[in-house]
Amino acid sequence: MANQAIGIDLGTSNSCVSLMRDSAAVEVLSNAFGENTTASVVAFHEDGSITVGNAAKANIIHDPAHTVSSAKRLIGRYHFSEEVRKAQAICAYEIMEGSNHGVRIKVRDEEFSLPEISAMVLREMKQIAEARINEKVTKAVITVPAYFNDNQRQATKDAGQIAGLEVLRILNEPTAAALAYGFGKGLEQKVAVYDLGGGTFDISILEIGKDIFEVLSTCGDTFLGGDDFDDRILDMLADGFVAKEGINPRNDPFAFEKLKVAAEAAKKGLSVDEEVEIRIPDVLVGEDGETRSLEHTITRSQFGELVQDLVQRTFKVCDEALQQANLTVRDLDGIILVGGPTRLPIIREAVSQYFQQEPKADVDPDEVVAMGAAIHAASLVNSDQDAFLLDVTPLDLRIGVAGGLAEPIIERNTPVPIEQSRNFSPFKDHQESVTLKVYQGDSRQAEHNELLGQFEFSGFTPGLRSKTSIEVRFEINADGIVNVIARDPVSGQQASTEITLSSGLSEAEMDDILTRDRTASVKTAANPDDDSQDDDLVIEPKDSTDTLELVADDDLDEDDAGPAIGRVALKTVAVGQPTPVMTAPGSDEDPNAAAETTDTDTGTETRDQLFDRSEDVDLSGDPEDTQQE
Amino acid sequence: MSDLSELEIDALAKIAGELSYYQLLQVEPDVSGGDLKKAYYSLSRSYHPDANRNLPEKAREGCHRISKVLTEAYCVLRDPRKRKAYDAQLEETGDLRIQLAEAAASHAKSESVRRTGSTPQSKQFLLKAEEDVRNGNLPSAVQNLQMALTFEPGNTGFNEMLEELRKRQQADK
Repeated sequence: MANQAIGIDLGTSNSCVSLMRDSAAVEVLSNAFGENTTASVVAFHEDGSITVGNAAKANIIHDPAHTVSSAKRLIGRYHFSEEVRKAQAICAYEIMEGSNHGVRIKVRDEEFSLPEISAMVLREMKQIAEARINEKVTKAVITVPAYFNDNQRQATKDAGQIAGLEVLRILNEPTAAALAYGFGKGLEQKVAVYDLGGGTFDISILEIGKDIFEVLSTCGDTFLGGDDFDDRILDMLADGFVAKEGINPRNDPFAFEKLKVAAEAAKKGLSVDEEVEIRIPDVLVGEDGETRSLEHTITRSQFGELVQDLVQRTFKVCDEALQQANLTVRDLDGIILVGGPTRLPIIREAVSQYFQQEPKADVDPDEVVAMGAAIHAASLVNSDQDAFLLDVTPLDLRIGVAGGLAEPIIERNTPVPIEQSRNFSPFKDHQESVTLKVYQGDSRQAEHNELLGQFEFSGFTPGLRSKTSIEVRFEINADGIVNVIARDPVSGQQASTEITLSSGLSEAEMDDILTRDRTASVKTAANPDDDSQDDDLVIEPKDSTDTLELVADDDLDEDDAGPAIGRVALKTVAVGQPTPVMTAPGSDEDPNAAAETTDTDTGTETRDQLFDRSEDVDLSGDPEDTQQE
Repeated sequence: MSDLSELEIDALAKIAGELSYYQLLQVEPDVSGGDLKKAYYSLSRSYHPDANRNLPEKAREGCHRISKVLTEAYCVLRDPRKRKAYDAQLEETGDLRIQLAEAAASHAKSESVRRTGSTPQSKQFLLKAEEDVRNGNLPSAVQNLQMALTFEPGNTGFNEMLEELRKRQQADK
């Protein structure tokens, strides 16, 4: 079979790849370690080699500055965005500004764009699939959070291309999950997909028919995910340590990473046990040269209190989605849970309570998205099977108008593909060109929305303002990707539309990246390289009778020779032996603090430049003029 | 997989923008929500770009164009407020397509027209009634509204306001 097309769930924390072969069953393709999910982490080693996956994740503790994780939080973002600033505060790797206000990651004196980093993860997933099925794979459906904006979708598509994949479709994660749940079952149901990932939360309400999956509404929060739950535990640990020892472990990148790992492991542990004891011997060396340890016990109910507001935040989003779909919880026939964090009992209980029904038990929250992507990929390359997806756009599409405002053109939850055109007149008489700014977001205030792009358009005949008309066509295609075309309705000219700002990579940059193809230098994990094994993290059960449960979830074979972190199991979390690379922190000074201040400054400047320029377009008032075609 | 011929696609792509939403979706003007959905699904099965991916570029482009208008028609007709604005536009100007944002906005506009009345007499009595309300003279307000209603009997806005006033009167007692 030459036409194998895979489905890839490119997650914030973990990725998963799946394939539907010849209309047969859908299978999740496991990596060389037998694991069905692979950490979305890229490690840049001293010898110039690059590794991806769970081994790379183990590298975080030794070498946080050269190990890039959670790239999905940064992809398609502007350098001045809130999320980038947040990441700069907590990431040990260097985040800098690239062209077009984009984000670059600097590791070992080389700068990488986010699509390149994600491409390394995608290439790994592609190779996992190729190794498993022993065939070349060139086509894929890649999933993104439903609430991703156009910049993030474009950047993800670029990543796929850099990884050597023809991206058949950028598919929304909850839609994929619903497809995996309902495909081929002949259901007629209304379902809610509650998707809490590592870094994002999405809720989609779908109507599933025999062969049609219609998304009724989708809402989300791209700033809320399982990582935030970890952060709450991390803060508790760090604050406790400060209170006890008077040293802030956040200022020591190595200690910080250990805390992060311990917090995540403790969170997972609490899915199984009522109480987890966290023990990190030698967490850091104080100025006095003494090594310090950290010990802390956390109960499930304590954890519940720590994250209660986060859980409640998800239900606010659910309220919105139901309202947009014109439904109540009673209209729903099923609840599908997606994402690792939905394994947490606290989430499951809260979800059952909110929706007044138990979530579907036969869906694997870590694999269902990749499986849905694989089903869709198969239906896009094979002609004999159809399952239609009628998806929606998650955000209002807006155009900037005079006064710093943004007028909606296409409302959120409008089905795609869709096209709307509007006529505009210039702000002044005899104006020779106009700047069109396209936004996504729910605010009338332009600056509170995500700027998708800025266009200079001069392809019209200047004249009196009232006599001049510019037609702008806004299209959202089936990928949810936005195209904007301006033209003079009289002359039909549209050639002089020029994108002057977009967060993505320019064509020249893409060409350059594809030619250099640094992502190809990734060492495949085909042979588990035990050198990279993380001997640093020792997890012991509190009492030996109560053994390793954590990984049962991950379908892992305990005896498998995978990297340790994938096989974390506990009652007790302990991060042991100081590593050779670890040095005592020289001072209490936060290395990130200085960088953060400067970046904040430039960030503000950039923003002014982008948003403070006076608008020179006006919506033409006459509804006659705004009629299409 | 759709089994349409390229000619059929091409023909519809050319005229999709020149049909009313009802004609395009092949439904009656009083179509119910359920039947509308059925029609949209059935046409999507035929014209969705995914269903026609093996066709030549030109036909696929045609499908894309048709799909975009189908979505627009479905969006307007499934939303009672947008549909009302569209029906009004069909009657008044005969324009066959409406901006989604325009449909939402013109509904808001018609809402306020509803409240101000459409004949000079009804407008006048409404203004009097509103003044009465401001002065706290509810019985007179009710009387004036009833007069407004004799000039414009079907006005639901007036009726709603009248009901509101009666409730307030009762609550005062």
